[in-house]
Amino acid sequence: MAKILVVDDEEHIRLLYSEELKEEGYDVITAEGGHGLLERIEQDSPDLVVLDIKMVDYDGLDLLQDIRNKFYDLPVILSTAYDTFKEDMKSIAADFYVVKSFDLTELKKKISMALEASGAS
Amino acid sequence: MLAYEENPEQVERADLVVGLPTHNDAENIAHPTTEAAKGLLDYFGDKNSVIINCDNHSEDGTKEAFLQTPSEIPKIYLSTPPETTGRGYNLRNLIEKAIQLQSQAVIVVDADLQSITSHWIKNLGEPIFAGFGFVAPLYVRHKYEGAVANSIIYPLTRALYGRRVRQPIGGDFAFATNLAETYLHHPSWNDRVGQFGVDIWMTTLAIYEGIPICQSFVGRPKIYRDNGQIVPSDPAFSQIVGTLLDLVILFQDLWGRVKWSKPTAIYGFGMGEVEPPEPIEVSQTELHEGFVQGFEKHQQLWESVLENNIYNKLGEIRELPLAHFSFPSEIWARILYSYCVAYKSEVVDREPLLHSLVPLFLGKNLSFVKKTERMSIQQAEEYIENECMIFEEAKPYLLNKWGGV
Repeated sequence: MAKILVVDDEEHIRLLYSEELKEEGYDVITAEGGHGLLERIEQDSPDLVVLDIKMVDYDGLDLLQDIRNKFYDLPVILSTAYDTFKEDMKSIAADFYVVKSFDLTELKKKISMALEASGAS
Repeated sequence: MLAYEENPEQVERADLVVGLPTHNDAENIAHPTTEAAKGLLDYFGDKNSVIINCDNHSEDGTKEAFLQTPSEIPKIYLSTPPETTGRGYNLRNLIEKAIQLQSQAVIVVDADLQSITSHWIKNLGEPIFAGFGFVAPLYVRHKYEGAVANSIIYPLTRALYGRRVRQPIGGDFAFATNLAETYLHHPSWNDRVGQFGVDIWMTTLAIYEGIPICQSFVGRPKIYRDNGQIVPSDPAFSQIVGTLLDLVILFQDLWGRVKWSKPTAIYGFGMGEVEPPEPIEVSQTELHEGFVQGFEKHQQLWESVLENNIYNKLGEIRELPLAHFSFPSEIWARILYSYCVAYKSEVVDREPLLHSLVPLFLGKNLSFVKKTERMSIQQAEEYIENECMIFEEAKPYLLNKWGGV
């Protein structure tokens, strides 16, 4: 069972993603911000991270850089309410991005593809 | 292949090497040499460094221009024999010398770069000392620049080997010297690699070897002597694409099991506002004519290497007037995959096969130019990313056809 870490400062998003992804058979853990995130990843060894771009205290794109530098092949899917982040070239270090929605079809598809690419599916 | 060396300061060891491959670059080489020296002094002052001009026995005074450029960093000049030309042979001499000097890192920058700054040296070199094995460049480029990379090399490399390296033939890159040993002894070296095939060869080998790859944003747009040329002059196109196809045959064990693609780490942001690239004029009429004329020359060959439905679709595209011209990416992906298979099976000779791809590439490019006409650079980049997904989704087509050969 692949383990997914959902990082988002909005509680209802963490709950929504957790419930829906658990229903898909994933083991889901959550974090509400970037504080101690690298240590958390080291400790819990998730197979994939779903990362909110705009959190109150953290810039998701900076966190993405940190994750990519330390965990070279860990799949990261950016989750965002707006797609203006694509203007920042840092975003190309993500495996995929999805626009936040209550319909998680796209997120599930991208999770499946990213896990397949990393051989963790 | 080394015929001549001039090492005025008798350098015997260097932690870091900057290489400038040249062929008749006397007019251009002073600027990159100066910026390389500045970058080495400012950002790698604690290391022993050397700048090496690896030349093709230029007769325009490249050697003199290089050695006479004032620099606090020592310099070495290397040259191939007079009868041997090719960027790849230059880089091979550079690699041999870097190993001899017991270097840890090699940075390569084009000698005709007009826009290079000392930051390029920093951003290409630092990731190697941070543990990466290969550093590919990231530039802000005009949407029509780097057309062969955009339409052929990037989508194919990404779909085949599963690693997103946006500028796999960028020309400016860095690598750790442990990878240099791989380059020097790899059996896939051939004359095409010795020419313009060397860039895709080095990038692909780095991916195949599982070396940690980083893409480094160098800052300024790449401005160089041949800016604005959509199709590399013959035989460069065949050398680049031929090398890619040679490696497809050789590295089947990797790409056969790769599904989808993964990004790479990024380095070098936070450099402030980036200047826009220079404008590029493209003649849609010339691209269209190049595509249509291809039917006169290559119709028979295309018929023999493409499936009927794809060949028929080409016929339909041919009938489209310039104003409504469109070359679907799904068809383009299948054409390139069919070329991979035809190259392997040698249903036709490989050189004519490679030449026959040029008009199709022109047609695809025309379609890209039309579709992205009103797009910003960023939007055009997104368009290319979507095209790459089409290549990844179409990969089973290659797997099915390949097995039958």
